[in-house]
Amino acid sequence: MNDRGPDDRGEGEGEQISCQEAVERVYEFLDGELDPGWTERVRRHAELCERCTPHFEFERAFLEHVRKKGLARERSELLERRIREALEGE
Amino acid sequence: MSESGDRSAQFEREALVHLDRLYGLALRFTGGDVPRAEDLVQDTILRAWRGWDGFERGTNARAWLATILRNTFINDFRRRRRRPDPVGFDDVSEREVFAEIADEDPEGGFFDHLVDAEVSAAIDELPDEFRVAVVLSDLEGLSYEEVSDAMGIPVGTVKSRLYRGRRRLQRRLYSYAKEMGYLS
Repeated sequence: MNDRGPDDRGEGEGEQISCQEAVERVYEFLDGELDPGWTERVRRHAELCERCTPHFEFERAFLEHVRKKGLARERSELLERRIREALEGE
Repeated sequence: MSESGDRSAQFEREALVHLDRLYGLALRFTGGDVPRAEDLVQDTILRAWRGWDGFERGTNARAWLATILRNTFINDFRRRRRRPDPVGFDDVSEREVFAEIADEDPEGGFFDHLVDAEVSAAIDELPDEFRVAVVLSDLEGLSYEEVSDAMGIPVGTVKSRLYRGRRRLQRRLYSYAKEMGYLS
């Protein structure tokens, strides 16, 4: 008995994955951490699936904003003074 | 100018100019813990000063300093943490945002309204194990393998920390956007 089901995938070209399989790998995909086979499967799904296309764009926008805004400069004159004093003691 | 004066001037010009950036990074690593972040930056600068002669001039001093800061933080983080504290799955805070927002704001337009301080605060609120993974990956740009080495956890655990940490972060930003009226 084949427990993978009739519509399960081989390694061929026409191989398709479900929305769930695509979405649970969304971050690995966007991080460039999937192997080439999975990258291709997820990319194709994200491009063709009406529901997942905006979902992937949403997650991409989210990560871009975190990366851009999460690393803000923070100014502390007290700290700067403290560090200069410590450097003088070196 | 004396040789030591020269060295200080150069350190000032190439290293100390990145102080604000390093402090920002230190605050995110420590989850907004000001005294710890200040100590971390000071340790980093002193180490950098002592190692300044080994720094290859003309290469990226900011990246070099960030690496020193990261290593200093991680050593301390791993020493404090006797074993990683498992963070229980939280059904509410880790629920997917997109499903709720797909009809009203599918492109995530609300992210545009969020300012740096709001994103930073949301990162700071993450549990330690999630926050450190997110900072290493999203702010420092490390690969999963590098995060795994730094934190001393398997790559599979890195994936799940990032997945869950980002979910929480996203949910927090979404709630915040709602509170602030960034979403109708």
